[in-house]
Amino acid sequence: MKHIDRRSFLKNSLLTTAALSLPGGLAVTPAAAASAAPAGSAQATGLVDTNVNLFSWPFRKLKYSDTKSLVAKLKKHRVVEAWAGSFEALLHKDMDGVNARLAAECRTNGGGLLIPFGSVNLAWPDWEEDVRRCQEVHKMPGIRIYPGYQPFDLDHPDMERLVRMTAERGLILQVVFGMEDPRVHHPQITVGRVSSAPLIAALKNTPNARVQLLHFSGSVRGEDLNQLMKETSAVMDISRLEGNGAVGRMIGSAPGMTAGRAPVERVLFGSHAPYFPLETAILKLIESPLDAKQLQAIMQGNARRLLPRA
Amino acid sequence: MDARKFYLNPSAYGMPTRDELVAMRIWDSHYHGFQSSPQPIKQHQETMYYVERMGIERVIAFDVGGTWQRPLVDTDFETQKWEILVKDQDRGVSGIIPIEPSYPEKSLAKMEKWIRHGPCIGIKYSGGNEAGVSCNHPNNDPIIKLAVELNAVIYIHTWLKVGGTPPRSGGGNSPGESSPMDVARLAQRYPGVSLICGHSGGDWELGVRAIRPFKNVVLEFAGSDPHSGAVDHAVRELGADRIVWGGHGPSRSFATELGKVLDADLTNADRMKIFGGNYRRLAAPIFRKKGLKIVL
Repeated sequence: MKHIDRRSFLKNSLLTTAALSLPGGLAVTPAAAASAAPAGSAQATGLVDTNVNLFSWPFRKLKYSDTKSLVAKLKKHRVVEAWAGSFEALLHKDMDGVNARLAAECRTNGGGLLIPFGSVNLAWPDWEEDVRRCQEVHKMPGIRIYPGYQPFDLDHPDMERLVRMTAERGLILQVVFGMEDPRVHHPQITVGRVSSAPLIAALKNTPNARVQLLHFSGSVRGEDLNQLMKETSAVMDISRLEGNGAVGRMIGSAPGMTAGRAPVERVLFGSHAPYFPLETAILKLIESPLDAKQLQAIMQGNARRLLPRA
Repeated sequence: MDARKFYLNPSAYGMPTRDELVAMRIWDSHYHGFQSSPQPIKQHQETMYYVERMGIERVIAFDVGGTWQRPLVDTDFETQKWEILVKDQDRGVSGIIPIEPSYPEKSLAKMEKWIRHGPCIGIKYSGGNEAGVSCNHPNNDPIIKLAVELNAVIYIHTWLKVGGTPPRSGGGNSPGESSPMDVARLAQRYPGVSLICGHSGGDWELGVRAIRPFKNVVLEFAGSDPHSGAVDHAVRELGADRIVWGGHGPSRSFATELGKVLDADLTNADRMKIFGGNYRRLAAPIFRKKGLKIVL
């Protein structure tokens, strides 16, 4: 849609400065969206997008598959940092090649915005060496796995070891629960359903693990989400939340709600771009009635707690 | 809770404000506020909070005079739905009725009641039926002919679910669940009748191909995941005049459905066609026939 011109940028930057100087932080009165939001609102908070992927989706040329165009798109919508995985990790076997290209691409074309999250595949031998290289060679702050596309489920015998290993190294572990509606998969592709139960068990055994669920919707009844929230410290992104006011319903801020399914501290902005439109994730924050404090937490604060700004 | 209060200024994030959404005159051609709830009226009222919040000008309710699972069986709430459709017509609520091609005569009777003599403006083919007949089955001939006589909007749910052995696109469809190819065959038989191919066939890359040659078919994108580039592709292949927008709330978020169109590189004029102009063009004859106000 619109681009942010220099005048708007300066205006909002000034509002940010004003907000920082305000006692009481971001708790302010709401504004009608038609007008500029008041000083101290969350309007100038940059977004940390915890769920983007680079390179080519294996089944279609995506509109923003070129990294430079993706970065321009992210910046246009005020994303200030994006945690980037690689579509190559879904089907490739040479994981170090995947991770090296990802790191180089973020460095070369990331515009200072992309943070690479490499991947390991538990189904391939010696995945532990890929963990080591992600951290020590490629300087990545986290690992992203894609069970289902990568041929293992979370009940893989090495899963608990991966959780423990990332925790010991201080790495974030992102677990992707889906990439595409299974009803429209290519007919030749069989992608298994990812079950969260084994992950819950692994997280209970490693309580200091920093784990984020990506594109997670949970079961229809939500028992798995309840268990994850009650028994683990895992956080989740908003990319798979669906339905009117979905973010608000998740944290209990929708009209008529007294409680949510997840505390706001456990919910992070994630777009699933460039597969999903970035606009969809931002509109979720607008569609749900969220106050300034909730917005700040989801847009940036919770991500910063997981990964402080470099 | 005031639906028009926001703590986030959309402009700062390259997104349209509510006023700008209102200016786009968005008609939600796919509204499920009355669907699958033990309290459909309450659900409708709750869903209208988000309709108001996102600046939607009009919703077209689908679940009227029955539900998509049981299209010919009145629920306990049909009288209330009728009253809402009459009372709120000027406040942006319209309705179309699910029909059941397994029972053409009963479907015709329902159309007489709810469209000719009632508040509704069209019919919907749902995602399956008892006899397992698609929208192109001869059972539909009297239904289509009456719809034409009434100037009714014709919406056809379509999907191409992967399934079967060996797996194929459409092999997982339910009995009677139409595919875009079924719509294309129907369109070929009725070249002068406008048809809406719902859900873009689920798989829009295939759905667009299936209906592409038939100018009397328009595509609707609601109720499937948002895919960046999908609307761009559809506009390239079909033209902006052949796409209508749906929200599919409350089970889909307006964020999902608005995002599909806002992702696309469109002129404002084309965006307004997709968001509402094209649907108004389809619905104008029946609005006028019923003496309802419509501004194209």
